[in-house]
Amino acid sequence: MGDVVFNSVRKEFTGQTVALDDLTLQIPDGEFMILVGPSGCGKTTALRCVAGLEKPTRGTIRVGDRVVNDVSPRDRDIAMVFQSYALYPHMTVYKNLAFGLKQRHVDKAEIDRRVRAISTMLGLDALLERRPAQLSGGQRQRVAMGRALVREPAAFLLDEPLSNLDAKLRVQMRAELKRLHTRLAITTIYVTHDQVEAMTLGDRIAVMSNGRLQQLGPPQQLYDEPVNLFVAGFIGSPPMNLVRGHAEGGRVRAGDLSVELARVPNGDVALGMRPEALVLASDGLPTFELLVDVVEPLGDEVLVHGSTAGTTVETGAEEEEVPMLLEDARAPITARFEPGVRFRAGDRFLVGVKPDALHAFDLRTGERVR
Amino acid sequence: MSAGIDVREPVEQILAPLPDEEPPRRRFLFSGWHLMLLPLALVMLAPMVWMLLTSVQTLAETEHFPPVLPSGVRWQNYTDVLQLSQFPRWFLNSMIVTVVVVLSNLLLCSLAGYAFARIRFFGRDVVFILVLATMMIPFQVVLIPTFLIVRRIGLIDTLGALIVPNLAGAFGIFLLRQFFKTLPVELEEAARIDGASRLGILFKIVLPLSGPVLATLAVVTFLWTWNDFLWPLVTISSSNNMTVQLGLLTFQGAHKTNTNLLMAANVMSIAPVLVLFFVLQRYFIRGIATTGLKG
Amino acid sequence: MNARRIVQSDHLAGWAFALPAIVLVVVFGIVPIAWSALMSFQRNNLLAPPEWIGLDNYRAFMNDPLFKTSMVHAGVYTVLFVPASIAGSLFVAIALNRRIHGIRLYRTAIFVPVVVSSIATAIMFLWLLDANFGLANWVLQKFGIGSPAHPVGFFSSSDGALYSIVLVTVWGWIGFNVIIYLAALQGVPTELLEAATIDGAGHWSLFRNVTLPLLGPATLFLVVFSSINAIQLFDEVFFLTKGGPGTSTYVPVYYLYTLAFQQGIAGYAAAIAYVLLAVILVLTVIQLGVGKRMVYYAS
Repeated sequence: MGDVVFNSVRKEFTGQTVALDDLTLQIPDGEFMILVGPSGCGKTTALRCVAGLEKPTRGTIRVGDRVVNDVSPRDRDIAMVFQSYALYPHMTVYKNLAFGLKQRHVDKAEIDRRVRAISTMLGLDALLERRPAQLSGGQRQRVAMGRALVREPAAFLLDEPLSNLDAKLRVQMRAELKRLHTRLAITTIYVTHDQVEAMTLGDRIAVMSNGRLQQLGPPQQLYDEPVNLFVAGFIGSPPMNLVRGHAEGGRVRAGDLSVELARVPNGDVALGMRPEALVLASDGLPTFELLVDVVEPLGDEVLVHGSTAGTTVETGAEEEEVPMLLEDARAPITARFEPGVRFRAGDRFLVGVKPDALHAFDLRTGERVR
Repeated sequence: MSAGIDVREPVEQILAPLPDEEPPRRRFLFSGWHLMLLPLALVMLAPMVWMLLTSVQTLAETEHFPPVLPSGVRWQNYTDVLQLSQFPRWFLNSMIVTVVVVLSNLLLCSLAGYAFARIRFFGRDVVFILVLATMMIPFQVVLIPTFLIVRRIGLIDTLGALIVPNLAGAFGIFLLRQFFKTLPVELEEAARIDGASRLGILFKIVLPLSGPVLATLAVVTFLWTWNDFLWPLVTISSSNNMTVQLGLLTFQGAHKTNTNLLMAANVMSIAPVLVLFFVLQRYFIRGIATTGLKG
Repeated sequence: MNARRIVQSDHLAGWAFALPAIVLVVVFGIVPIAWSALMSFQRNNLLAPPEWIGLDNYRAFMNDPLFKTSMVHAGVYTVLFVPASIAGSLFVAIALNRRIHGIRLYRTAIFVPVVVSSIATAIMFLWLLDANFGLANWVLQKFGIGSPAHPVGFFSSSDGALYSIVLVTVWGWIGFNVIIYLAALQGVPTELLEAATIDGAGHWSLFRNVTLPLLGPATLFLVVFSSINAIQLFDEVFFLTKGGPGTSTYVPVYYLYTLAFQQGIAGYAAAIAYVLLAVILVLTVIQLGVGKRMVYYAS
């Protein structure tokens, strides 16, 4: 039984930094759970709490069928892959893999069997007598995983394990990880700041910000039904287009756009549309004018960056302060089209939106209202 | 061969962060470790504490067994030392020698270190290896010939004998060269474009950036020169020209039974180094840690 | 030649800058090294012109019991001093490697002895270990060791004098080693310790399997450095025992000093200096050779 449960976990550091604020999360046995969010959101702290490297200020953590708050990391039956891999530099790969088993006094023959099994599974057979310094980044990463898996833990924790790899390797390793998980079915908690990784790897994703859980659910659900502005802006690349607007009597006006949206309460709202929800204007669709700024042909699609009348909305999920080089009072818009459209910078054209694909968020609370 | 450690950051950590600089995760007001550390610290300090106590005792108290604590503080011991011997002169001699040697090293080793680091000149690499080689040779090998050379120059039994051979040490050349090499060349090139001479670049650009390493060299050189014993022993014979270390030897010979006075003299000999240590602790430690990094 | 580039050939400037220091190093470093080698083949009393005697000085070692004794003492001293100061300092460094209240004071207390001169240290201990009035004897007698009539003669017993010198020098040097070890300890990555903890290592296992191996380079350095210094022991012997009682604390550099500056047998003394150099070199090479195989260097 390898489920992991956070129960109202709060973690404060000295100096009144609240890293985790009332986190409640259940991860059933065998699930691949992703904790994702910008740096400082608390995801690594949450992971370290499960590992036992941090102790919750309040609340409990359960691994399997027991509360582990006061249990030392050694006895929690968890294994962890660190971002820096933390391989023992003076030991061979074989010894690195065997170390955990040796500490638990597993007998030599059994150690050998398990180490070799894992090594074959991860393709490390040729490297067993080498030292970490002689390995490439990808190889070290696999050794780090092997060291964790060889112990057959109840829970498998990973802290941004792919962030030190180059892009191509990262894509490869993502697939391997997924394959591994399907094969081994160990409860896995994976921390990343990369929402693409989150979307491709997870059974369920927990989006976090400022120590709080923003939304929990399968990837598609987070994409299609973000529960607040933060999740809407965080998940999806390119990010959701947002324009400030006002709702009154079931009609929302944002910039040029005017749309009938029933059941939206009166007040200021943020209207959101994903880039692929934008189409060339056609009859019956609400439209707005897009002034083209940059066109990016990507081969299988074309991204058109531009702006429309109105102002955009900050979600809190922005990576950095990127000053928008636009005239005042225009909202940046990115649209995704099939290849074949011919636009150039400076063009103006009408863009249509399917009303079903629109999201609306209360501007005050950030919560979805539709 | 190196100690395999990078000391720039750890040195700062060795000195422990001040409370307001960085709150540590846990700060035990009482921890079991105190039970071990306190006795240890006391044992390490015991000889010095005992020396201090003895230095203010009366003669009768020192000749008492079992040992007693001083009943009063006999500051007169210190003035006695100053009057009964040439201690003030010895102290002055040590000061002069040490300060001159430190300043000279700072200057000459900067010049040479910079040349080795930044200027290509005929024979540079060979000469540098020779300089390094002299660092490896233990002092007793060069002791006798250096004595003969100093005698030939006519400096025996003068402060010059202590100063001249030490005006520039291989250690300083090596230390500064290594450091200068780590500075970004672009700064100096920019100054060059602005028309600065090499000397100007050294004094106006490079040295101002070298504060910590210069302080380290100064501190290490001060320590070594002030504490040096063998060389003064061999070259100085008249009491007028003795350094403090040598003077202590003389004093002990003349006042063997006046332990309280001897301790007072000892305290005075240690005082400057201790003061320097407390003020510049950071650089002492960096100096020692750097020794662990050198070739 | 690009006038902008700093590192370029400029023979005049290069030599002008480096000349004073080079001259000093040559005159007081290179020349003496060579001259010393020369002297070792001469009979030289520092006054009259020397005469060439070839390898006689080196042959004389074989028949010189004092030379052999001093080398033996240097060996014994080194074998005692090096492990004691290194093991002791490792232990102290571990104790000092924590963030508790007042750690700064403790560290200072351990470091201070390093800056005290060997003479000042010797004076302190001469008094502390005094046979008749010393504090140490008083403490020992409280534990039943020795008595006022038969106190422990630290420097006056031919058996104990060398050990007493070990004590004095260990006291003076431990702080140095501690600094080196503290830096190395703080270089052990926290994540490595965390990973090992998760793998199931307890405190002792963490130390043995993670910390200690990573301290290898520092330990090797200290072994080599301490050995080199130990073999060159002089100041304490000169001040505390003058090689005695008898010849029980005779060490090579002290012997060298007496030969050259008290007996005027400088040629032989130079030969001894070179033999000592050879011993140091051989020892260092051996230590580095063993070390390279046993010690892991983080790349």
